[in-house]
Amino acid sequence: MTTLSRRAALALPAALAAPAIPRAQGSVEITVHYAQPHIFKASYDAIIEAFARREPSIRVSTITSPNYEEGAQLILRQAATNQLPDLTYQGFNRLRIFTERRLALDLAPYLAREGAAENGYTPAILGLAAAGGIQAGLAYAASNPITYWNADLARRAGQDPERFPTRWEEVFAWARAVRERAEADGFYLNVGGDDWMFQALVFGHGGRMMNADETDIAFDGPEGLAALTLLDRMVKEGGMPNLGVQGSQQAFVAGRLGATMRSTAVLRNIIGAVGRNFALRTSAMPVIDAERGRLPTGGAAGMITARDETKREAAWRFLRFSTSAEGTAIMVINTGYVPMNQIAIDDDRHLGAFYRENPLFLAAVRQLPISVPWYAFPGPNGVRITQAIVNHQQRIIEQRATPAEALRDMAAEVRRMLPRRA
Amino acid sequence: MRGRPGRAEALAGILLSLPAGLSYLLLLLMPTLAAVLLAFTDYELGAPTIAWIGLGNFEELLEDPGFRVSLRNTLVYVGIVAPVSIAGALGLALLIESAARGRTLFRAVFFLPVVSLPVAMATAWQYLLHPTIGPVNAFLRDIGLSGPAWLTSSDTVLLSLAFIGIWEAIGFNLVLFMAGLTAIPRELHHAAEVDGVPSAWERFRLVTWPLLGPTTLFVVTITLIRAVRTFDSVAVLTQGGPNRASEVLLYTMYTEGFTFFRLGYSAAITLVFLVIVLALMLLQTRVLDRRVHYG
Repeated sequence: MTTLSRRAALALPAALAAPAIPRAQGSVEITVHYAQPHIFKASYDAIIEAFARREPSIRVSTITSPNYEEGAQLILRQAATNQLPDLTYQGFNRLRIFTERRLALDLAPYLAREGAAENGYTPAILGLAAAGGIQAGLAYAASNPITYWNADLARRAGQDPERFPTRWEEVFAWARAVRERAEADGFYLNVGGDDWMFQALVFGHGGRMMNADETDIAFDGPEGLAALTLLDRMVKEGGMPNLGVQGSQQAFVAGRLGATMRSTAVLRNIIGAVGRNFALRTSAMPVIDAERGRLPTGGAAGMITARDETKREAAWRFLRFSTSAEGTAIMVINTGYVPMNQIAIDDDRHLGAFYRENPLFLAAVRQLPISVPWYAFPGPNGVRITQAIVNHQQRIIEQRATPAEALRDMAAEVRRMLPRRA
Repeated sequence: MRGRPGRAEALAGILLSLPAGLSYLLLLLMPTLAAVLLAFTDYELGAPTIAWIGLGNFEELLEDPGFRVSLRNTLVYVGIVAPVSIAGALGLALLIESAARGRTLFRAVFFLPVVSLPVAMATAWQYLLHPTIGPVNAFLRDIGLSGPAWLTSSDTVLLSLAFIGIWEAIGFNLVLFMAGLTAIPRELHHAAEVDGVPSAWERFRLVTWPLLGPTTLFVVTITLIRAVRTFDSVAVLTQGGPNRASEVLLYTMYTEGFTFFRLGYSAAITLVFLVIVLALMLLQTRVLDRRVHYG
C-alpha cells in the first residue's frame, strides 16, 4: 500500500516543480542597483514607471551607491555575504573586476535568443560592455569627453563666438587670446582622478593601452610619448593652469576659464550652474589624428548577478527594457548621456525633437562614430594602475618631469603591477 | 552566611558590567583582532580565495614608494600641526585669560571650528583657496603678489592642509588650556609676586607652566593622535593628490582597501597606524607622566 510505484516516484518531482510555473507567471520581485543617483535617479525612476506598465508582474526595487567606486565595493561585499542584487549598473571599466570574480552572467545566450541588431544592439554598442571574454552586460548610458566653452569670453577675446577651434594648435592660440584680451584663464583639460583622459590622448593618436593579447603594455611607444608631449605643450604653449578637477569646473562656471574639456556626463550640472551667467557652448574634442584618432567611452552597463533562474529572466527583461530604444530615450532626456541603442539614435521619433531643442547635447552624440571602449587593465591591480597613470600625468602638469621621463616611470610602475604570466 | 550578600553583589556587578563588556569585546576587540589577522593574508574584496602570506604585506610596505611617501607626509603634517596648534593655543589661552573683557566671545570664536562639520568646512576652504576665484589669491593679487594653486600644487598642498588642521585643532586645545588655567590658584601668582618674581615671563615659567603640566600632557597626546589620523580634509579636498603630495596614512589605508579592494594590504597599514597610536599612548603613560608635576 505504501510502496511508491515507479510512476508515482517520477511524478513526485514534477508535482513539486508544478507550483513553480504559476509562480513564474505570478509576480517576481527583483532588486536593481545603480550608482550616482544625483545624475541617474530621474532616469531610473521614469524607466521603472514605464516598465511597470509593460510588465506588471515584475516588481522592481532599487538600491543606490553615491559613485561607481562604492557601487563596485557594494557588489563585492554583497557577493561575499550572498546578498547580491539581481541586476547592477556598473561603470564600463569596472566590469572586468566582476568577470574576473565570476559574478557576471554571460548575456550572449539571451541576445542569441532574441536577436541583437534588430533590437538596436550593434557590435560597437555591445563591445562597450564586453569584458573578460563574455558579454558581461548591456550598455545603458555612455559619455565621451567634449569641449565646454564660454562664448562671451571668446567674443571679448576677439574670437568667433559660434565656432571653437578643432585642432590643438588653434586651441593654444585661442587660449592665448582669452588670457591676453579677456583676462581669464584659457582652457583646462580635466585629467581627472582616473586614466580616462590619458586614454583619450593615447587613443587620439591612434595608440592603445596594451597589446592585443594583453601580455605587455603598448602605451609606452610613440603614441604614448606623443600623448604626454601634447599634455606638456598644453601647459607650455597653451598656458593650461593647474586647477584640478573641482577647481576647474568652479572657475569655468564662474566665467573665469575660457574652455574646459571633460565628460558630457556633467552637462546637466554645468548647464544648471552656469544659468544665465554667460553663453555656454559645447563642441567636439579638438582632433589629434583625424584618421586613427579615437575616444574612450565612459558610462554604465547593466550586469545580471541573479543566481535564481526566475529572477534572471525578470532581470533580463528589465535590462532589455532599460536599454531598448524607448528606455534609452527616457535615459537621454533625463540625464544628458549619449544614447546606447542604435534605433533610438537613427529613428527620429525617439530623440529627434529633444536634440533639436537642446543642441548642447549633440557634441557627444556626434563623436559616437569614433568612440571605443574604456580600456580596463587586467588583474587585481587594475584600479591601482589607473592611479599610477594619474600621478605621473600630474608631474607633467606641474612641469616636474619631461614627457619622456614621466612615460618611462609610468610604464615601469604599471608593468610591475600587471599580472605575471607563466 | 556573611559571604552571601558579598557574592550577590559581585554577581550583580558582573551582570551590570556585562553589556558594556560584551559590546567592548564584540565591537572593538574582535574587529581589531580580525584586522590584525587580515594583515597577514592576501585577501581582496570579493575574491573567492584567501591565503596566509605571513609578513608578505609588510615586506611590500617596506618597498612600496607610495607608502613611504604617505608615511613621510603624515610625519610632516603632524610635525607642523601639533607644535603650532599646541603653542598657539597656549599663547591664545594666556592672552584671553588675562583679558579684562570678552573672554567668552574669544573662546567661542576660536572654538567654532571644532563644532563645525569638517566636510562642509572643507568645501568652504576649497573656495577660499581657489587659485583664480578664491578670496585668498584675490587679496594677494591686490597687494601685488601672485598666489600659488594652494591645493593643486605639490609644493603647497601639504602646507595648506596643515593650516586647515591647525585651524581645526587650535580651538579645541585652547578650551583645554583655559580649563587648566582656571584650575591654578591665583594665590600662587600673588605669592610669586610677593616673593620677588617681577616679570610675567618668570611667573609663567615658575608657576603656570609646571602647574599646567597635566593639561599640556593631555593636549600633546590628543593633538598628536588627532593629527596622525587626519582623513576628511584630504578625502574631500585633494584625494591625496597631486601625485601623492598630500597622501596621508589613513587615506592610503582607505584607497588600498576600498578603492583598490586589497583588504589584506590595507589591514597591514591599519596595523602600522595602530602601532603608532599605541606608541604615543605609551609615551604618555610611561615617560611623560613621570615628569609631570601634579601640584
